[in-house]
Amino acid sequence: MPTNNTSELLKNTLTMILAGGQGERLHPLTRNQAKPAVPFGGMYRIIDFTLSNCLNSGLRRVYVLTQYMSSTLDRHLQRGWSIFNPELDEYIFTVPPQFRLATSWYRGTADAIFQNVDILEKARPEHVLILGGDHVYKMDYSRMIQFHIDQGADLTVACIEVPIKTATELGVMAIDQENRVIGFEEKPSLPKPTPDNPDLALASMGIYVFSTCALVRWLSEDAKRNTAHDFGKNIIPDMVDSGGVFAYNFKHANRNDTVYWRDIGLLDAYWEANIDLVSATPDFNLYDPTWPIRTHTPTYPPSRLHICQEGRSRVVVAQGCIVEDAQVERSILSPGVHIGPGSEVSDSVLMEGVHIGKNVRLHKAIVDEGVHIPSNTQIGVDATLDQKRFSMTPNGVVIIPKGIPIE
Amino acid sequence: MKTILIADDDTNLALLYEQELTDEGYQVEVVHDARAAIERVQQNPPDLLVLDVHMPGMDGIEALNKILGINNQLPVILNTAYSNHKDNYLTWSADAYVVKSSDLTELKDAIRDVLAKRNEKE
Repeated sequence: MPTNNTSELLKNTLTMILAGGQGERLHPLTRNQAKPAVPFGGMYRIIDFTLSNCLNSGLRRVYVLTQYMSSTLDRHLQRGWSIFNPELDEYIFTVPPQFRLATSWYRGTADAIFQNVDILEKARPEHVLILGGDHVYKMDYSRMIQFHIDQGADLTVACIEVPIKTATELGVMAIDQENRVIGFEEKPSLPKPTPDNPDLALASMGIYVFSTCALVRWLSEDAKRNTAHDFGKNIIPDMVDSGGVFAYNFKHANRNDTVYWRDIGLLDAYWEANIDLVSATPDFNLYDPTWPIRTHTPTYPPSRLHICQEGRSRVVVAQGCIVEDAQVERSILSPGVHIGPGSEVSDSVLMEGVHIGKNVRLHKAIVDEGVHIPSNTQIGVDATLDQKRFSMTPNGVVIIPKGIPIE
Repeated sequence: MKTILIADDDTNLALLYEQELTDEGYQVEVVHDARAAIERVQQNPPDLLVLDVHMPGMDGIEALNKILGINNQLPVILNTAYSNHKDNYLTWSADAYVVKSSDLTELKDAIRDVLAKRNEKE
């Protein structure tokens, strides 16, 4: 919880969460909803982690900037996150594109903020915290904001050391001994390694604290140029030469030894991050009472499980699930999942309301919300057959979306 | 010859600008409200727009931002009797902010600077 000193700086901070990405690489899970609304971990949606970080950091003025396919996200935020009192100037508001400036969708991350600069004018915060709504991690933002103030920075970028091979998809920075950013390149083909380790690169996490005046000044300049209007591609590289950009080393609030920050950008990464949660000591700690992850799920009755199998069964089970004399192993059962007798389910992520009939064999699959799998179906057993019926990831995870007939 | 569009609802003041800026060697056109300015920018953009803030109907700040969406390469000078709009973030995309005065030296200097910067960019 924030101390008295930090509560003042948090009051002077406005948070803007970019939640408008299409999440094309998570298709078909993003066919009908934005990436931040994609379910995760049995009962959450991806944006819950960012919003819980805000809540646990003491941030109470939050705008969620939506765009594509926002109705599921809107509904979730309304049901699960209407927890602040706007009369006390505490809120989580969703804002779809207003087309106040342009008649187009947001052209880039910087454009998304610039098109909503009227929000900054009305709120007049000293600092603006800009976050993505599509990463899974725990972080106390108040410490980063304090660091930003201590440095007298115009912009502070949260960073994390990543294997250099993966850095080609991220913003990579070089820093001096005082953590001042002296170089920044978005998605470099040859990422620069850290001074200490040639196998690691220092990557931006897409988490920014701006001094508001600097933010508006740079956004206003960028708006008059024909750029990608993107923080990583344009704003940050432009600002680096001014000397006012600092890097903040990610200090996670995960209460274990794993530095956990995941961009659940690909279906394989999505599957792996979910299945990791069933391990005895998951990398991502959902069970820390000092850092609760908030969400909304409809009311269900308690789960009733008749799992019949030899040996260990490691399963994450939400409420309202019924398992009738079936085998379930290394799987995530979201609310209201039903598994019929004689079925065998393993290494699978079953979303809310999935219904699996009798004697089904289901292995290494992601099953979308509300899908019914008829009795005697086999999925994840014969790859050739699966490829004819469903899409399959490079690592062999079968994706079963809504709305296709299953025989 | 550079073309300057003046958008100002004060007809006397607009006439003064037109005369003085014509004497400076610019081709000057005048409109008296923001919507007419936007229409003109859409149809045939000038080299520079001098935009008043307080006008009936749409004000200059709203027009500034709409014009940015239409043509982000058009230099705009906000020209107003009030200095307090300078703090408004919505005015920060203007290329210059000039407080109105009977002496047009500051406006003329701003026009020269903004056009010179635009030439450098090109």
